[in-house]
Amino acid sequence: MYHEITVWTRGIIMDKEARDVVNCVATGAESAGYYAQFISDYIDDPDRTNCLVHKYARFGDEPIADRFVYENANPDWVVLVEETLLKASNFFRGTPDGEGVLVVNSARDPEYLLKFLPDFMLAKLKKLVVVDAVSLAEQEGGSPWMFVRDLGQLAYDRTSTEGAAERSEVGIGVAAPLLGALTAATGVLPLEAIRETVTDQDAFMRGAEHHSVLDYAQAQVREAAAAQPISN
Amino acid sequence: MSVKGTKIPPKLRLPLAGVTPAPTEEAGQVLFPTGNFRFFRPVYKDKTPPCNHACPTGENIQKYLDFVKHERFLDGYLTIMEDNPMPSVTGRVCYHPCEGACNRKDHDEPIGIRNVERFLGDFGLELADDPIKETLPATNGKHIAVVGSGPGGLASAYHLRRLGYRVTILEALSKPGGMLRGGIPHWHLPENVLNAEVTKIEDLGGIEIKCNTRVGTDVSWDDLKSYDATFLAVGQDVGRKLPVEGNDLRGVTGGLEFVREAGFNKPVKVGKRVIVVGGGNTASDAARSALRLGAEEVTIVSLEGPDELLIVPEDLEQAKDEGVQFKTNTACARILGEDGVVTGAVLCEAHLSKDEEGNVTPKMNSDTEYEVTCDNVMIAIGQVQHLDWIPDHLIEGGLLKTDEYGRLEDNIFAGGDIVRGPAMVVDALGDGKRAASNIDKVLKTADLAPDAPVEVMPYERLNTSYFPHAPRIEAPLTPPEERTRDQEIEVTLAYTQEQAVAEADRCMSCGVCNGCDNCYIVCPDVSVMRDTRTNGAYSIRTKYCKGCLVCVQECPTGCLEKVPELDFEDEGDVTRMETAFSVYDGSHAEQSIPIAKLQEDAIAEYDAARRRRKDATSGNGQRR
Repeated sequence: MYHEITVWTRGIIMDKEARDVVNCVATGAESAGYYAQFISDYIDDPDRTNCLVHKYARFGDEPIADRFVYENANPDWVVLVEETLLKASNFFRGTPDGEGVLVVNSARDPEYLLKFLPDFMLAKLKKLVVVDAVSLAEQEGGSPWMFVRDLGQLAYDRTSTEGAAERSEVGIGVAAPLLGALTAATGVLPLEAIRETVTDQDAFMRGAEHHSVLDYAQAQVREAAAAQPISN
Repeated sequence: MSVKGTKIPPKLRLPLAGVTPAPTEEAGQVLFPTGNFRFFRPVYKDKTPPCNHACPTGENIQKYLDFVKHERFLDGYLTIMEDNPMPSVTGRVCYHPCEGACNRKDHDEPIGIRNVERFLGDFGLELADDPIKETLPATNGKHIAVVGSGPGGLASAYHLRRLGYRVTILEALSKPGGMLRGGIPHWHLPENVLNAEVTKIEDLGGIEIKCNTRVGTDVSWDDLKSYDATFLAVGQDVGRKLPVEGNDLRGVTGGLEFVREAGFNKPVKVGKRVIVVGGGNTASDAARSALRLGAEEVTIVSLEGPDELLIVPEDLEQAKDEGVQFKTNTACARILGEDGVVTGAVLCEAHLSKDEEGNVTPKMNSDTEYEVTCDNVMIAIGQVQHLDWIPDHLIEGGLLKTDEYGRLEDNIFAGGDIVRGPAMVVDALGDGKRAASNIDKVLKTADLAPDAPVEVMPYERLNTSYFPHAPRIEAPLTPPEERTRDQEIEVTLAYTQEQAVAEADRCMSCGVCNGCDNCYIVCPDVSVMRDTRTNGAYSIRTKYCKGCLVCVQECPTGCLEKVPELDFEDEGDVTRMETAFSVYDGSHAEQSIPIAKLQEDAIAEYDAARRRRKDATSGNGQRR
């Protein structure tokens, strides 16, 4: 058993959310007895506000072979911290056909989101998990730019060293419900183990309970999606 | 970004520089379609300014103020004429609901919209040829009757004519104008201006005004049905009587009747001391007209308290300046007379009390009665209309009962005071415009539909940092001692051209793009284009816009809005990238074929240049 998790996010303003997800998955997997690691992304110049950034985690029941390769070549779990990333990137590059589990933070219908996936990405999709993490997270901060955070927190986070030494608590804000939905929908890692690593455990459980799953592997879902006009 | 230590894929290595081209270069722009940074898209969405929304005729006020600001007066005049056929009239007499709604009142003072409108209206009247005439369609053979030549009737005739209908206006009195002539004194609306506006409408061709034709006596209800459609705008021009002892004495007149006689240039006389009963605008007009006709002491007696008077503030102030006296919270209990002629009145303290259901009833305190002497009593406590010629089932409480589209029954529509009770000139103009478009729909057997809901721009959504405070330019007034000498001296004077332009320049263009170029200037990504003018006055280069929303933040008028990118289902504007940067050899080139081509072209060009140089060098050698 071996899984690679790639979390896509946007530079600076949502960096911490994605970092928390990979951090908690790896830490939780390790405490559940798996070999695990997580890495931040440097090559995409994540110091640019809004730019596409990814974070990686991987775990398995054998020692990780590519320990010093810091990109996931074949991610099978993909988390999008922000819904527009659906449109903006090919996050299924390297994903085996029919294996991809996609977790999206969005308040929209899963069927609507499917429209934005072109055929070559749909071929890799197994499950689409949609969780409205923004409304499930603890509300604070009033910025239209950042999810439930404010500028002060953002500045404080920026002094963290990418997961090695976090300044603020790990697993707060939208990261908690996203982790809940990811763990519950995949069902590989024990919910309890991940929950222990998360600070906002209530929001984590809310995410685990309130998310919608569209099982794309089922034929009827495929047909329904094919009936809709898919752009590009 | 620094490329030091980053492995540059061979296809990206430009022969000379050896680094990834900067985004400012053409090659760099193809490489970095940064549109996928964006999760909010700036969109130009024009909203309805509050002035436009408050105006019953729906005048596009922001638009004509913008034209005036740029000294394009003819365009401004034509903009008004889309909705309102008589800007010279409304520019003088309108109670300007637009200025009451103007967002600028929360900033400093509302724009003097009425005065600018008057400026444009007078500009239009001075034109040698009426520009509207050229735009009229030929008449389509259908014939509409309009009853009443007041503002409602004239407006409906104008709009119907513009839709291609032939119109006959039936007017009971000897001259057209309705309340404009019979309810508004000359010092407020000069006769020549009104005549010019009426003539302008008559001269369009296809509109006939039949004066001295009273519906009910000269034309019957059934006669009206012989027309293709009818619009009733008969107004309310019969003053209500004061139900007290002595109201039939000589010297007791209706305020409205008095103003009408004066308006029709009939000889009217008033005594030295005049009492006007009523607390509304007619009372004020009657009192001020009386002053001009020789009365020395004019007192307005009103049930309303000093703060409850229904007179518009500027008229109240002008009346006080002219020396009209006010006895507020006072009622007229009796009118005294000798030999059938008024000699005085008995007044007493009174007030209006509101019960739980909101009904207002006068409460008089008869212990406080006292006598005053006077020569005339004018009653201005509201108006009614005789409607005995209209079938009973269409009348309710003295007014005509229409549906939400102003329709009475079949092809008969109604509007103005006879539907809403005493209201503003501009309300009647709006009713006329609406009736014209609804009659057009009915005759074309289209369905009547309510107007689509609009989004009105609130003050809070404007970026007020861009609007320096500037005081409102008040229209000059004739000094009180001069203007009370004669009926024909206009009280409020016109803006000069400079004043009109300066006042229009104060408009904040609430929610409507006025092409200020601010978004174009502030965009850090050169992604706002103004050459194409497809989206408002500007377009957004969605392939490169990073969604920083500086333009939305900095839009002074608030017409730019952020819309979630996922609301747009068309994916064409965003390039799906494998990563933000190349993470393995050639991945950039995979994203788009043009880049591979670009690279090859660049290499070929470089090679060709080197070959040329080599040839040249060897050629030089041979020559030597």
